[in-house]
Amino acid sequence: MKRILATLVLAVLAFAAAQGVTIGVLAPLTGGAAGTGQAQKAGFELALEEINAAGGVLGQPLKIIIEDTKADPATGVAAFEKLMTEDNVEFIAGGYSSGVTLALVESFKTFQPIVSWIGGAVSGIGIDNFDGIEELLGQEEWFFHIHPWDYANTEASTAFQVYTGVDTVALLHEDGAFGGPGAAGAQALLEAAGMKVVLNEAFKSTLTGGTGDFRAAISKAAASGGEMLYWIAYDGDAQPLVSQVRELNYHPKYIFGAPPGWPSDFDKVPEAQCVTGMIGYLPNLPNPEAQAFLTSYQAMHGTAPDNYMAALAYANLWSYADAINAAGTTDQAAVIKALQEGTFRSPMGDWSFKPSIEALHQGFGAEMWFIFQFQNGVREIVWPVDISTSPLQTCP
Amino acid sequence: MDLSLLPQALVSGVLAAGLYALVSVGLALAIGVIGIVNFAHGEFFMVGAFLAYQLFVSFGFDPLLSLLFVAPALFVIGAIIYLSSIRFVLKAPELNQMLLTFGVGIILQNLALLIWGGDPRTIARVPYRAIGYKIGNISIGLVPLGSFVISLILVAALYWMLARTPLGRGMRAVAQNRIGAGLVGLEVNRIYLIAFAMSALLAGMGGVMIAVIQSPTPTIGFGFTLKAFAIVVLAGLGNIRGITIAAIVVALSESLVATMVPNGDSLRNAVFFAIIFVALVARSRRAY
Amino acid sequence: MKPRINPLGRDLLLALLFFALLLFLPPLLRGAFGRASVSYLSLGINALVLATLALSWDLLARTGQLSLAHAAFTGAGAYSTAILLRMADVPLWLGIPLGGVVAALLALALGSVTLRLYGIYFAIATLAFTEVLKTVVQELPTKIAGGAPGMNVTALFRPTLAPGMERWELAFVRNQGYFWVYAALLLVAVIISIFIQRSRLKSAFTAIRTNELVAGVMGVNPARLKLLAFVLSSFVAGTLGAVEAHRLGSVSPDGAFAVSTTVLALVTPIFGGLYTTVGPILGALVLAGLEETLKRTFADGYLIGYGIVLVASILFMPRGLVGLLSGIAKRLRRPGGGQEGGMSSARAMTDEPFTAPEETP
Repeated sequence: MKRILATLVLAVLAFAAAQGVTIGVLAPLTGGAAGTGQAQKAGFELALEEINAAGGVLGQPLKIIIEDTKADPATGVAAFEKLMTEDNVEFIAGGYSSGVTLALVESFKTFQPIVSWIGGAVSGIGIDNFDGIEELLGQEEWFFHIHPWDYANTEASTAFQVYTGVDTVALLHEDGAFGGPGAAGAQALLEAAGMKVVLNEAFKSTLTGGTGDFRAAISKAAASGGEMLYWIAYDGDAQPLVSQVRELNYHPKYIFGAPPGWPSDFDKVPEAQCVTGMIGYLPNLPNPEAQAFLTSYQAMHGTAPDNYMAALAYANLWSYADAINAAGTTDQAAVIKALQEGTFRSPMGDWSFKPSIEALHQGFGAEMWFIFQFQNGVREIVWPVDISTSPLQTCP
Repeated sequence: MDLSLLPQALVSGVLAAGLYALVSVGLALAIGVIGIVNFAHGEFFMVGAFLAYQLFVSFGFDPLLSLLFVAPALFVIGAIIYLSSIRFVLKAPELNQMLLTFGVGIILQNLALLIWGGDPRTIARVPYRAIGYKIGNISIGLVPLGSFVISLILVAALYWMLARTPLGRGMRAVAQNRIGAGLVGLEVNRIYLIAFAMSALLAGMGGVMIAVIQSPTPTIGFGFTLKAFAIVVLAGLGNIRGITIAAIVVALSESLVATMVPNGDSLRNAVFFAIIFVALVARSRRAY
Repeated sequence: MKPRINPLGRDLLLALLFFALLLFLPPLLRGAFGRASVSYLSLGINALVLATLALSWDLLARTGQLSLAHAAFTGAGAYSTAILLRMADVPLWLGIPLGGVVAALLALALGSVTLRLYGIYFAIATLAFTEVLKTVVQELPTKIAGGAPGMNVTALFRPTLAPGMERWELAFVRNQGYFWVYAALLLVAVIISIFIQRSRLKSAFTAIRTNELVAGVMGVNPARLKLLAFVLSSFVAGTLGAVEAHRLGSVSPDGAFAVSTTVLALVTPIFGGLYTTVGPILGALVLAGLEETLKRTFADGYLIGYGIVLVASILFMPRGLVGLLSGIAKRLRRPGGGQEGGMSSARAMTDEPFTAPEETP
């Protein structure tokens, strides 16, 4: 008798647990973008723990299923379709590679789950003959985009460059899909703001098969006499670039980099002194949410959150939890409404979805980016001035 | 075309050959002398880089000091890998060796990913990293100069070992005629083991240099494997002295195109491989 | 003397049966698994792509040409169909095969130039070719080829939602369409392979692979046959790349010419069994299934298991899956003496160039 009762109780509990909400996550856990994917996973795990400690979603613990896309389009499509038809999720989160996102467009439009995406920054706006993600998915009711669009980066960096007061800029960019369009956009904005772009030169990033020897491009920049060296490339390029600038005895007034992230330990590199960079999240952001995020992240994972993608992933999952709880149901129309109208939390502060150039629901824009400078081994925030922790210095 | 940059391009180009030679010299021993098609060569390189990083983080070792530890460590790792897998495919077709070593490479790469994660790792304090000596208009970087000199030494040492030492002669004998070498009393298996372990050691040393120059990630190995193969093949299998020359040819060409052509740096890989292609095809025509 | 059934006919029949099985697989899956069949078809598509990639590479390897340029041809096919579509509005049913043709022409050019290169020299030359091609495509005018970001490519199948249809059914119809297209392409590759294996081409290719000089003396024309293998292999690879472009919605230099494509193309046939029709296909199915199984069982580090399997496979099955299976079958056959039957076609589909058939007529 007792055994039957126990089984019944267990069955009821299992049934109840099975009613909880599951969110499907796509991330590049292995392969060339594994650093980003693992950072996203860390952010999702932290948010998951907090959400469930605060009562979960609709009274049940939230569950997530993270699928590895390997940053490969074919794998990404299969992973998404598994989430939709084997795991039967109704909500999709995550995302990184624009190539994977483009491959998913057809599948997204077929299944039309709610997609809240922290990747795929290639908007396509400003590139002729190319439809980027903002152009292809922006008008869909069920598509929410959190990561700033590529043009937001150039908006933010141009504003900073105007603030520095330089007249000439030497622009070095990696020759791939990130640096090429980015540099074109940057040059246009800089010239519109009255600055002279004395050099716009492509180089091969270490990410796409370069050996890390940038001396050719740097010597051209040195010869051009630009007051600011502005580089657009990847995190792995930061250290060789900066070291070789010193080695070649090039002394611009400012060195400004806009990679998607910065390598860990780069703060401690002496050659990084006076280098400025653009970033979306830093552990030493003064607002209380950043401090709390840093503390809990360190408690859970044992290291500081070095990759801003962890912060975006955290915001991604929390916004879902808050929206579904606010809607009180998993009904798609209700959750969409809650996502549209809600204000959500993140280590960068509160945020919400607003329309962008061609998208209905855009999370972060240029305001997410701020400029820091390596000063004596610390990443001091130097711009916007109202959140700065130290004034901007010129390089010797 | 800005001719004023030409002298710097020449200097940078020649010095950059050091890195290419460092990457290739170990592979020259493995495939060029012994005939093991090792698709995991770049992973030994990567392991050396990460060991140097870890030694810095844990003990504060300067990379030059790390060389003393990384070299024997990679020798041991190479030996273990040889004993557990490579030795069984010595007589197998090249394709089988490729698949086996490719599998080994995947294992090493994903182990590194598990241990260190996917983000680039920087050795924070290398006092000599950004030093450049100015001679007139030209800057000679200490690190490229150093890696060039080290690569010359290693290539010369390898050549000397193969030409003058009993071990080296044994390696060449085994490469030429495995059965005959065994018949005259050479311990063939031991020679293969040492050769493979040495190639791992050489790769590891190159890896330490890379940890200084770049911020390595676990996936940098394979790209270097392919370039190393290309340089070894360009020099000619078994031609150890040719490694330096081959490396200089490609590095110099890359540097010249990168400096003299607008946006030339993005053509680097194309220049590298175009030279390889043209050289291989031209050589094949001449042979007949 | 036993009457011999035409081996070529038998193999073609088996191939058609296999294709028929593939044809019926989607509706079978749907019946058995319903919604989840969409996911299984997605995985099946990736497996078919890998199988075609592997078999097309193997066609070339049979002449001893170990190509590291396979990605050049899949990429060329992908870009050709995309460019033809953008510049000349070429319809997909024409553009896709044209992608194969362009790849074949490229192979003809590369093959002619590298005729006298062997082994690792040939491999590196083909690798070099791929890298240069990638840069050339990237540097082409953006209006034509899209530069570094690449181009969008129209989808091959975009079914519309009929009333009463559920969304997963829409995805199913789409995946089914792609599955059939890839199955058809694989069938083409299989038929090419069978015609080679069941003709004098097989011994000619094997002779060239074993010793080209001697083959030449024996009356084989190595140059012409090597180029033929190259053209056939690349036509299939190019067409495959073209279809993939239409499925994945975009082409870019790094994606289309990725070295990982080439590596998969050569790893899979080695694992499955070289120089056979069945080997590459079996290898693809097993490797794709293995990777997915490992992924679902172990969250982190599942690729380490994958690497271990690859290493173990060479150590314990040096002739690939096909070698292992035919070894087992041979041991099973021995007690009963020489039996005609399924084995002889499997044996002919495995690589045993110089052993005489066991039963003498």
